[in-house]
Amino acid sequence: MIYLDNAATTPMDPEIIAWLQDSMRDQFANSGAVYGIGLDAKNKIEEATETITAALGIPSSHNLIFTSGGTESNNLFIKGLCSPDKKTAYSGLEHPSIVETLQSFKEFGNEPLSLLEFSKKGRLDLSCLPLLKEKRIRLLCLSHVNNELGTINEPVLLISRLKNDAPQTRLFLDGVQAVGKIKINKSMWSGLSGYSLSAHKFHGPKGIGLLAYDSKLTLNPQLHGGKQQFGVRAGTLPVPLIRAFAKAVELAAARQQETEKHLLKLHAYLVEGLRKLDIPVLINSLDDEFQCPSIVNFSLPPVEGEVMLHHLEKQEIYIGMGSACSAHSKEPSKILLGIGLTEEQARCSLRISFSRNNNFDEIDKFLQALKSSYQVLLSTFLKGTLDR
Amino acid sequence: MSDQRTIVIRYDEIGLKGRNRKYFEKTLLKNIKRSLPKDKGIEYRVPRGRIMIDLSATVADEYADRLKKIPGISSYSIGITMDPDFDEMAALGVQWIEPLMQQGKEFKFCVKTRRSAKTFPKTSPEINFEVGSRIMSQLSPKGLVVNIKESQFTLEIEIGLSGTVVFHTRETGLCGLPVGSSGNVLCLLSGGIDSPVAAYQMACRGCRVHFVFFDNQPFLGRGGYDKVLKLSKIVNGYQGRAKLFVVPFQDIQVAIRDNCREENRVVLYRRMMYRIANEIATKYEMPGLVTGESLGQVASQTLENLAAVTCVTSMNIFRPLIAMNKEGIIKLAKEIETFDVSIEPQPDCCSVFMPDSPVTRSKISILENDEEKYPGDVLKEEALRDMETINVDLL
Repeated sequence: MIYLDNAATTPMDPEIIAWLQDSMRDQFANSGAVYGIGLDAKNKIEEATETITAALGIPSSHNLIFTSGGTESNNLFIKGLCSPDKKTAYSGLEHPSIVETLQSFKEFGNEPLSLLEFSKKGRLDLSCLPLLKEKRIRLLCLSHVNNELGTINEPVLLISRLKNDAPQTRLFLDGVQAVGKIKINKSMWSGLSGYSLSAHKFHGPKGIGLLAYDSKLTLNPQLHGGKQQFGVRAGTLPVPLIRAFAKAVELAAARQQETEKHLLKLHAYLVEGLRKLDIPVLINSLDDEFQCPSIVNFSLPPVEGEVMLHHLEKQEIYIGMGSACSAHSKEPSKILLGIGLTEEQARCSLRISFSRNNNFDEIDKFLQALKSSYQVLLSTFLKGTLDR
Repeated sequence: MSDQRTIVIRYDEIGLKGRNRKYFEKTLLKNIKRSLPKDKGIEYRVPRGRIMIDLSATVADEYADRLKKIPGISSYSIGITMDPDFDEMAALGVQWIEPLMQQGKEFKFCVKTRRSAKTFPKTSPEINFEVGSRIMSQLSPKGLVVNIKESQFTLEIEIGLSGTVVFHTRETGLCGLPVGSSGNVLCLLSGGIDSPVAAYQMACRGCRVHFVFFDNQPFLGRGGYDKVLKLSKIVNGYQGRAKLFVVPFQDIQVAIRDNCREENRVVLYRRMMYRIANEIATKYEMPGLVTGESLGQVASQTLENLAAVTCVTSMNIFRPLIAMNKEGIIKLAKEIETFDVSIEPQPDCCSVFMPDSPVTRSKISILENDEEKYPGDVLKEEALRDMETINVDLL
């Protein structure tokens, strides 16, 4: 099996599986209980929190809330801070857990400001920031790394420009695709109001995420029924998952430089390989310093992405896509349309996303399979050339 | 109260059968036995016009529920077998009725007897009177009255040669004929809402329905395949022992897509599906095909297009939904619990194969002309060779 869909999820690191298994056996007690084993569980959470803050350089000015994943973290921060009437903005290229959360404010007559026209390169053009001041935007929500394209909104640059152009606008970043793949600049935290993470994107377990937010802010809880986690998120804390999260972050941070180097090589190798394939490939992701090396997005018109995906699946090669070809509708990816792709180009897109586990041999096999499947499928997708 | 119960099973259409009646009764009994566990404590009796199951009170409700999924049963009741003793029957009636009565309020009841044991010394009206008056003597001071037309509680007594059973509720069954009594048919199952309903309808007419699915992998993912496994399993819950044939169809679709007139594609696909289904049905001695087609519902289901697919086989084609509207089909799909699976968002056809404007009135001669442009027979044989056969009971 060749797994090249690591932006969707990553396989768990065996070391973390063992760590999680041990913790599920040993730290079963409720961390809110007052007896010894409950206190032990609580201590383990504190240890995990320290591990995470150390690994990511999160300062004490930020609180950490454990959630069920990136989607919940995004919902919790945005709704907790801005619902129902605070003005918000987004680039239009974010994950649905940001876009749809912001859109939910519409029912209160609070339409979020879309900056799509300033996002044609897959990241926000900072020249639009004065608009945030003009529109009195309180919160700007962006992806740190775009989940389909891998384009980066560079936080430090953004923060310094925001300070100047729209000082009243706070910044929230969805960091789900960033951790472990690119360097997290520790100086970003001072200007960040919130940041979300999810363990399964960096070889941890599913079902555990994190929201790091500026402790000066008051977040309204979205789940009620307990005083856990600063009263912001009720519910018994999943100690083993939190410990596994911390372990995954620790490993990801420790290996980050090495991983990034490896991903850069894989990225370059794949892009070069695609260009040499002798088939018309349109590379949708970028190649500059603000591109996350773990993601390559490209289109092979007229062959539809979903059909190619299933042909590769047959050869046990698993890749991602942004759009579907169903006769009954999924629409082409809004992100790809947003950066100016045609509907056909968007429908024909594929996303390769690496983890540190991938290697060149896998890319060679993928390219070979891609080319042969393309040649098989091309005639079926060509229209108007049939001799009838 | 006794810790034993008797389930009284009634059937309707079988009762109308002449000399074949025994065959239908045996088939129904076999189906009932197959749906219940082979517990030692379960005894079956078959007096005329009824099937009786004696079993422990602890499992009676659970096992009786399974009867709701067996075609051929018109209704059933859970009762108690006892001696035909009027005092005991009345005592049981009091035990059942008293908790339902509210202080100071009138409560209407009646007694109905069916006496098939003609040797019993009292007639049915006499038994009604004997038991009813005993109950009245105890409960009339609390407001119990006899009212046959507007009864809130009917105590039923069946006195037969194999025993006397007393009960008070009737659960409705699926009616129709017992599965297997009409033979085997093959249903073209798509994963949509209609075809599972059509299969169910035919099961209720005594057919054992097997399934054929035309698979689009790898143009589509495995989602459609998984969905059809789920649907065939649900429908098989009404019958048992079905086979599911999964036919790889993508090469045929590609050939039609690449070589034939675009507007004819859908009808051409369906003609090939019918031909393949015909081959499978013939091989496995299933003298009928079943489809979920409903007249005019989509472009491929016009009178002309239905005729264009029908003519490729001489086999019986059953379309039980042909005159139903979509609302009626959906209602039935919900009742038989296939609806939620059917609406799972799995595409049943890749858009690359769909024409922009499909023909609504196809002409056979043009379709035949199209079919000369690709090696249909060769591809059909290959698809049949690569077909997967699944025992639905094992899913």
